[in-house]
Amino acid sequence: MPATAYKRVVYRSPSEHHYLKVCLEFQEHGIGLNTAQFKQLLVSALKDLFGEVGAALPVDILTYEEKTLSAILRVCSSGLAKLWSSLTLFGAYKNKKCAFRVIQVSPFLLALSGNSREQVLD
Amino acid sequence: MELREAPRHLMVCEKSNFGHEKSRHKHLVETHYHNYRVSFLVPECGMLSKELKNLVMEIGPYYSVKNLPLHELVTHEFIHTFVKKGSFSALTYNTSIDEDNTAALLPNGKLILSLNKDTYEETGLQGHPSRYSGRKTMKFIVSIDLVDLSANLDSKKYERVSWSFKEKNPLKFDFLLAWHHTGAEESTMMSYFSKYQIQEHQPKVSLSTVRELQCPVLQSSSLAGEPEEACSALELFDWLGAVFCHADLDNQPYNFISTYRCPQPSTVVAQACLCTVTGFILPEKINVLLEQLCHYFDEPKLAPWLTLSVQGFADSPVSWRENEHGFQKGGEHLYNFVIFSNQDYWLQMAVGANDDCPP
Repeated sequence: MPATAYKRVVYRSPSEHHYLKVCLEFQEHGIGLNTAQFKQLLVSALKDLFGEVGAALPVDILTYEEKTLSAILRVCSSGLAKLWSSLTLFGAYKNKKCAFRVIQVSPFLLALSGNSREQVLD
Repeated sequence: MELREAPRHLMVCEKSNFGHEKSRHKHLVETHYHNYRVSFLVPECGMLSKELKNLVMEIGPYYSVKNLPLHELVTHEFIHTFVKKGSFSALTYNTSIDEDNTAALLPNGKLILSLNKDTYEETGLQGHPSRYSGRKTMKFIVSIDLVDLSANLDSKKYERVSWSFKEKNPLKFDFLLAWHHTGAEESTMMSYFSKYQIQEHQPKVSLSTVRELQCPVLQSSSLAGEPEEACSALELFDWLGAVFCHADLDNQPYNFISTYRCPQPSTVVAQACLCTVTGFILPEKINVLLEQLCHYFDEPKLAPWLTLSVQGFADSPVSWRENEHGFQKGGEHLYNFVIFSNQDYWLQMAVGANDDCPP
């Protein structure tokens, strides 16, 4: 096949989605949540702050680790601020105190596969 | 942040061929200085060749030092021993570019300082406000050309820099260091910085094989894709993220947990090799790896393409060349090559809100 001709395209804010790496921390130890429960928790967080309309915001859990209660979430870019603020203000689940830590946010999922701020030197 | 607006980001997508005389691939790799993670994906491959494996394992040590005073980086001895005899790279370790004072030495001999207002004023050096400081300038950038300085050690400029770093405001940082050089012994680094608890580190390597991987179908001549025939560069970039984050690629549209799917059209490959290296990786080594990956197709292979992606340090003061880099909400600056079997390639360069457009 003949070599392709040079072309350059610059896209401004092309990502329709934003991605968040989050971790849920409970004050009490030993609380487990499976993926469906975690998703339900996200929906409650959105509902608490933004009502039924907020709760309907589509959020995908791309990865979930039950052991650490950490996940990579996908949300449409226009819903990022809503989701992020819901997570920030979420304080308790079934009367147990908890808090979301947002570890990384990016419109590029590939950027979430590494976090230089977590670099540890042995 | 306005409720309906996410911060702006930029993606440059280029297509070309490695055989093109004016291809800029080497230059764009070379001028992206502070690399934290390098990953590549080879479809239809169960095990890496010995050459590739060796290259990866020898991507080179990097070093860490503690409490290194900045004045050590402007001595004639340092500039002569390291800066002029290869590519020396340094970046402050564990400093957040949006909050802390940060310093970096670029392989071209430029020492870049990103300083808080108070620190900047205390150094007494000439700089300019950060582009991403907001309405009230809280951050200043000072750029010192070490090669230029060392040409005239009697100059007022050198006197002032020396005085600032030694007496006026002696700044010290923990640094990550790396040095690309031909000839000279490795032990030079260890002995030269022995006063600063220098430690050698090997980059972390992770190798894995993924089975039954859904891969987008691509046409090298078409960055935007073709309906029903080929996926776009943007879709490929997203998919690559999903693979390296180990996301499920085949969800149903009504799935409660996730609706993410591999872009279409796609094919399933029986296996694919994934490799990730993290550390403080020199661009020279990345160029060698890129070249080796191009040679993957010297012999006929089942794979139509493979990818090489590189992620910069979120807290580096620069992205490409001396373009100022800021963290905003993500600090991302990364690039990805898609290398096709006929030596066509795609190069995607992505940055967040506090960055210039990649070159």
